[in-house]
Amino acid sequence: MKTLAIVVRDDAYDKILTPLAFAYLAAAEGTQVDMLFVNWAVKALTADGAAALRIDGRHAAEEARVREGVARAGLPTDIYEVIKALKATGCVNLYACSLAAAIFGVDEHNLIPEAEGIVGAAWFLNDKAARAEHSQYF
Amino acid sequence: MDAMQEIAFSLDTTGKCCPMPMVETNQAIKALAVGEVLEIIATDIGTRKDIPSWCERTGQTLLASSEHGKELRFYVRKNR
Repeated sequence: MKTLAIVVRDDAYDKILTPLAFAYLAAAEGTQVDMLFVNWAVKALTADGAAALRIDGRHAAEEARVREGVARAGLPTDIYEVIKALKATGCVNLYACSLAAAIFGVDEHNLIPEAEGIVGAAWFLNDKAARAEHSQYF
Repeated sequence: MDAMQEIAFSLDTTGKCCPMPMVETNQAIKALAVGEVLEIIATDIGTRKDIPSWCERTGQTLLASSEHGKELRFYVRKNR
């Protein structure tokens, strides 16, 4: 697989781990990964938003146990640190959806420097997702 | 396999789970020269399939593997 496009919608701490882990796996093998963060997940592309991510509602009581499990697995427990690790592979591009950014309060001032920028979904879907060998939606 | 004589680097991923064993395996193989052998020690049972398929996909040779208790060992020769 040479290219992978991922759309991330869910911002729960536990649910965002899967697309990030998949991106990490693919990027480690040299696959070019393009990720679009939409809806609430766009907040993960801000330092405050990434730090504020919590376990999904019905599993909230298990947050500490899940974070311990993430640490044992060898991943950083801080989502921003996971994002930094993805960027360090040199194969991952992170984009914030412009609609989501407008709705959920993300702009060029609070966007993390690891993100490529705020983009239109039409561009991502046509220039990245449609051209990728594989696309995933979370 | 008499891999112990040839191991250029031993990667111990004991306790770690997906994606880290594969991420670290990819990093480790890059540091080796063609022909050298990488030993991977793992406890993530996902590596039973992950490592062989990774070898096939990336053109490396899985020389041998073993499983003792919860510990899995893989010996991979770098081909490219």
